Amino acid sequence: MSFEIPKINYTGKVKEITIGAGNKTATVGGRDCFPFHLFEGSMPHKPIIAMEIWDMEPEGWPEAAIEPFKDVISDPPAWAKKCVEEYGAQIIVVQLKSTDPNDKDRSADEAADMAKKIVDAVPVPVVFWGTAVNEKDEKVLKKIAEVCEGENVSLSPVEEPIHKGVGASALGYKHTVVASTPIDINLAKQLNILLGNLGVPDSQLLNDPTTGGLGYGIEYAYSVMERITQAGLTQEDEKLQIPMINNLGNEIWKCKEASQPEEEVPNMGEPGRRAILMEAVGAVCYLLAGSDILIMRHPESIKLAQEMIDDLMAEN
Amino acid sequence: MLLIGESLNVISTKIGRAFKERNPVPIQEEAKKQKELGMDFIDINLGPARKGGPELMEWVVKTVQEVVDDVPLALDTSNIEAIEAGLAVCNGRPLINSIMCRPARYEKMLPICAKYNARMIALLWGPHGMPRDEHERAELAVELVYAANEAGIANEDIFIDGIVTPVNVQQDQVYSLLQFMPMVQDLGEGLRSTCGLSNVSNGSPNHLRPIINRTYMVMLEKNGLYSAIADAYDKDLVDIARGRRSDIVEIIGKVMDEEPIDMSSISKELQDYVKTARILLKKALYSDSWLEL
Repeated sequence: MSFEIPKINYTGKVKEITIGAGNKTATVGGRDCFPFHLFEGSMPHKPIIAMEIWDMEPEGWPEAAIEPFKDVISDPPAWAKKCVEEYGAQIIVVQLKSTDPNDKDRSADEAADMAKKIVDAVPVPVVFWGTAVNEKDEKVLKKIAEVCEGENVSLSPVEEPIHKGVGASALGYKHTVVASTPIDINLAKQLNILLGNLGVPDSQLLNDPTTGGLGYGIEYAYSVMERITQAGLTQEDEKLQIPMINNLGNEIWKCKEASQPEEEVPNMGEPGRRAILMEAVGAVCYLLAGSDILIMRHPESIKLAQEMIDDLMAEN
Repeated sequence: MLLIGESLNVISTKIGRAFKERNPVPIQEEAKKQKELGMDFIDINLGPARKGGPELMEWVVKTVQEVVDDVPLALDTSNIEAIEAGLAVCNGRPLINSIMCRPARYEKMLPICAKYNARMIALLWGPHGMPRDEHERAELAVELVYAANEAGIANEDIFIDGIVTPVNVQQDQVYSLLQFMPMVQDLGEGLRSTCGLSNVSNGSPNHLRPIINRTYMVMLEKNGLYSAIADAYDKDLVDIARGRRSDIVEIIGKVMDEEPIDMSSISKELQDYVKTARILLKKALYSDSWLEL
């Protein structure tokens, strides 16, 4: 008797979603098996690594993270262009750090002006990521939706308290909503239902299950994403078949281990290399958990993660 | 299904204040109301009652018994001295709520239960906290029932509480308790059971809590549940417990037995019970909008 590899019986499929508009688009999802289980199903689109930029000159970044961008780091549109032209970014994510009400507190109008400049500067889709201060995010994301009408940018993070306001703007100006919930499968499902009730079609929806850094909750995020994937693909839960996006670089590079000098932690190796590897290893985890868009910072770690994607997606 | 009224409880603002101010009026009103609503026990919940617990419990028990002396009481606090003070003045055979499966606790409390010829809720909360599944529940139950029997307490006086968890965050555990219920009779002939029913809907939208509570009660009862600590003011729940809503019991039973159900041929009310039963059976993932799907 010959041995047969047991196979999982899938009943669902991740929805296929296109962000961006015109000739500036990217498509993710469409997968009908667990991540990279190509022996059981198909992944018509590779997960995409999106590159992050900040809408202001970053403060407190470790040297290794600044190095590749030091010539453009105070000029967000030029930074975005460099990511695309030099590093081949297929999606740009703008971290709206300047709008943080506890820091620079830049107004929605100013943030939207900058947003438009960035969108116009790059030939790829753009995702805007607020500071998770709901009240401010709502103002900023609504304004960005307005000035970027028709570009199908992605607006994030859309948490439950602001889903109506931002959801309505996304509908009105034709953008994608990134529904964001705090590492909880039930709440993830609920927010997708609420956005559906509001009229946001699944084709304009991404999910942010909340991303934990390496050593800072990555295992919680992993297991919630794993359960979401199982519910969507094997338990016919239609409300959990939305592609997922993870704001990874932001989590990795802000933790203390990413910049601690070698003298302080001699067993952790040289800090530049260390942080790059932390980001790459984090990426591997999230890709295996089912991430469809992974937001990363450093070109070196991106290269490592991309190699893994290409290897796992290779025909043989 | 025996019902233990849950609302003479320190977490109610009105009752909490009455406890504090030693004002008998709201307490006696609540007790009379619960008797009127047909409760089989009235639970007196003092919370932790760290300060002045014994004196407070004695006073509340006496206050209640002045107006209701024919409904047994359940004495509910983690303060062991307060439990004993209450037992000393109770008429009839009260129910201790509860004795958990931790030796340091039960070694003190079981002799007290036996001394006053009281009944007890055996709470399956172990040295490591909440049991992870039905098998760990059974393990804890064996240990606690054995110790109780040794102390001279009969199975008929032991109400096993397998612990109800909120469905919005712990659907697996909600299901696990359903799986545990049929095991109770195998653990000892005559054992009773109970549960803190309303916890299943803790955290769900307020207006949807009753249907979760009622559905879960029916499901647990089908699997052997003997009594529940529950909301006396939920009229439909009391009706179901008293056998006045066989339509609801029947349709939930069909879901549990995996019989086909033609949703278009039943009322909206029964459809909602079907949807809720499916959630509690883990057939679909919980979300606050489960009835709208």
